[in-house]
Amino acid sequence: MDFSGLLDILQRYVFNIANLQGMLRLATPVVLAGLCALITSRAGILNIAGEGMILFGAWFGVAGSYFFRSAWMGLLAAMLSGLVVGGLFALFSLKFRAHIIIMGIAINIFANSATIFLTREVFGVAGAFSDPNIAGLPPIEIPILKDIPVLGPLLSGYTFIVYLAWILVALTYIFLYRTPWGLHLRAVGENPQAAETLGINVQRVRFGAVMASGVFASLAGVYLSLGHLQMFTEQMAAGRGFIGMAVNTFGGGEPVGVFFSSLLFGIVETIGWRLQGERIMPVYFISMLPYLATLLALTVFTLRKQQAKKAALERAAHEA
Amino acid sequence: MTAAVEMLGIRKVFPGVVANDNVDLSVEEGEIHALIGENGAGKSTLMNVLFGLHHPEAGAIKIRGNEVHIRKNADAIALGIGMVHQKFKLVPSFTVAENITLGSEPRHRGVFTDRKAVHDSVMEISQRFGLQISPDARIQDLPVGVQQRVEILKALYRQADILILDEPTAVLTPKETRDLFGVIRSLVANGKTVIFITHKLREVMEISDRVTAMRDGKVVGVTKTSETNPTQLARMMVGRDVLLRVTKTPAQPKDVVLQVRDLQVFDDRNLKAVRGVSFDVRAGEIVGVAGVEGNGQRELVEAIVGLRPAWGGEIKVKAKNLTTLNVRQRREVGVSCVPEDRYVRGVALPASIEDNLIVSNYFKPPIAQGPLLKPDVIARHAQEMIETFDVRTPSKDVPAYALSGGNLQKVVLARELSAQPDLFIAAQPTRGLDIGSIEFVHRQIVNARDRGAAVLLVSAELEEIMSLSDRIVVLYEGKIMGTIEGARATEEGLGLWMAGITEATPEVAGSPEVARQLVAH
Repeated sequence: MDFSGLLDILQRYVFNIANLQGMLRLATPVVLAGLCALITSRAGILNIAGEGMILFGAWFGVAGSYFFRSAWMGLLAAMLSGLVVGGLFALFSLKFRAHIIIMGIAINIFANSATIFLTREVFGVAGAFSDPNIAGLPPIEIPILKDIPVLGPLLSGYTFIVYLAWILVALTYIFLYRTPWGLHLRAVGENPQAAETLGINVQRVRFGAVMASGVFASLAGVYLSLGHLQMFTEQMAAGRGFIGMAVNTFGGGEPVGVFFSSLLFGIVETIGWRLQGERIMPVYFISMLPYLATLLALTVFTLRKQQAKKAALERAAHEA
Repeated sequence: MTAAVEMLGIRKVFPGVVANDNVDLSVEEGEIHALIGENGAGKSTLMNVLFGLHHPEAGAIKIRGNEVHIRKNADAIALGIGMVHQKFKLVPSFTVAENITLGSEPRHRGVFTDRKAVHDSVMEISQRFGLQISPDARIQDLPVGVQQRVEILKALYRQADILILDEPTAVLTPKETRDLFGVIRSLVANGKTVIFITHKLREVMEISDRVTAMRDGKVVGVTKTSETNPTQLARMMVGRDVLLRVTKTPAQPKDVVLQVRDLQVFDDRNLKAVRGVSFDVRAGEIVGVAGVEGNGQRELVEAIVGLRPAWGGEIKVKAKNLTTLNVRQRREVGVSCVPEDRYVRGVALPASIEDNLIVSNYFKPPIAQGPLLKPDVIARHAQEMIETFDVRTPSKDVPAYALSGGNLQKVVLARELSAQPDLFIAAQPTRGLDIGSIEFVHRQIVNARDRGAAVLLVSAELEEIMSLSDRIVVLYEGKIMGTIEGARATEEGLGLWMAGITEATPEVAGSPEVARQLVAH
């Protein structure tokens, strides 16, 4: 077998700076969607509304940026939408006790139709809206770092939200494990009765978690609509809300785990884009790859967990 | 002397039930006050009112003479009231220190948890009250007795002066119970007041200063412990004279029915719960399996009835190997079982009494004819069972959830015993039942034996095991610690085995004197 040929292919399609940059970029919305799933799941809430929250974030990001001629206003508008949608979700599912899955489905369907409707009504176009007046988020060049070979191009020059996602991963970790509120959140997720009898307001903690998940999701949305191309496209969340849930499971509900499993998703998607350029496979098959990879990763993950369990069982049997 | 707690005219109504009806309770500063009563008498409700978990419709609460309004849990905590619930409220993956300080943890610069202070304050408080604990251990790795200690420390950390202990001994070994009593005494010596909920009369006599007895939501008596006795307390609780002892004739054991050899079973966490257990049960005898809950009893029963695979070993009933048979096939061989959780496995709660009575034989004549059920036969069967087993129900068509625990258990017994089993397994058959129903269940178990069934009785209640069993095996960490004739067993001896103390030979277990000496070590 010709290994040099294989290496060449690997280098060409996988391990080069451009691909790794692509990986970090494409992983960003997934990291944020993963944090959205993480913060709610750790509080004991099954939040499937991430998809809809991302979509709203994307739309309001574009709208804010277009009307105020400022990407930062877009960011602000998106985050507000995240708070509002998160608040509504929390209000109905936690306070009024609507079924949380039904409520999540409702938000997702509503987000889909509402953004289509708003695009037509407000911007007068169908399908996609782009306009030179939409300000995009500028790339940030990090001084000194940017001049270092390899590391410079790899770590410098992304838009604000990419860095924000990294910071949020760290902050979420610190929040969960180093602050009393994080402790409360984990206690509420693991044994709500215990938290309740200690005077922790379970409802309030969960409310906060859902609001935070709304903000995380909306940031994923803004990144999709203002991160590269300044445009809103119908259904542009493209399942990332659900991928976020998968990434959270795969990452074991840990912020750092979420980050690295998102990178896996990012690299597969990047390779997909590359292959599309090469025209060696049908385009639709290639765009299916990231999702296929997620499915595969989850399956392998589950199987290995089962195997570990079985091994432990046999060890125990051996010991006794 | 002012009362530490005074509850006056408390009334609490749940849909359809008056749980507390004009209840008065007065607890002196620094006393150990026992609150006794049968299940549903309203003890827990009353304490939940005091702890701010329920809101009474009427009544007043005074703490140290001042009238207070306890609207929520946090109000009660602020007033210095602490409660150790029967089901511990701990977060399994958190450490001891995290659990104790949860909700009011020391902070560092206002934002971060001050982990050193968390550790230190837990050490300090555990030393002050002489409650030993390692602050950094995870709850999931600790035995039940230690978890309970964490619960007590949790209350002390919040400066509780009044401690409510809700049936604290239900999950403990005799040894752990003695330790707990030591802790309670040292708490009182440190100026705390303890309210102790229980229905074990012997414990009331041993630990309490005064007793308040409740029945049907009302207080039926308050007395000094020194001026009463168990028989009188039982009468107060039940409202009539109670036979505390079961009457039965000596066993007439015949052929071996159940034969268990080197059985090994895993629990839900894939840990070995039953580790090589062997025993026989003969026709016409009751074999009691004693042990603190969680020592493999549940897994043992589930493996015999077919709800859980046996990893190794053999289970034979009437010389027929069961291990490859499914549940229904085992039942056909002659196994029947009263499961330990009657609400989950005993009955289908939304289904009618009638339906619940046929779920074990709906598929064969006379209940079914080919693919069709025969309603008239089913109705007659239900009526018959209800009468024979004295099920108090408005009709055979009401859903199971409408019945009380005792009547529900009668439905389960009716179904399981009407199959005329060769092997009858009763797992925790009287858990949560009142004394009247317990009497009935016990009589049915003895009747099954006298009819010639082999009976395997699994119970965490030592008194029940001792009064019913012809032979007793004690399970500890999935192994049999010892076997002894029922008549020769003593509570002290069984207690040693239950605590895993191996020096106890059957002779020791049979001799209270030696056993006491061993415990003293």
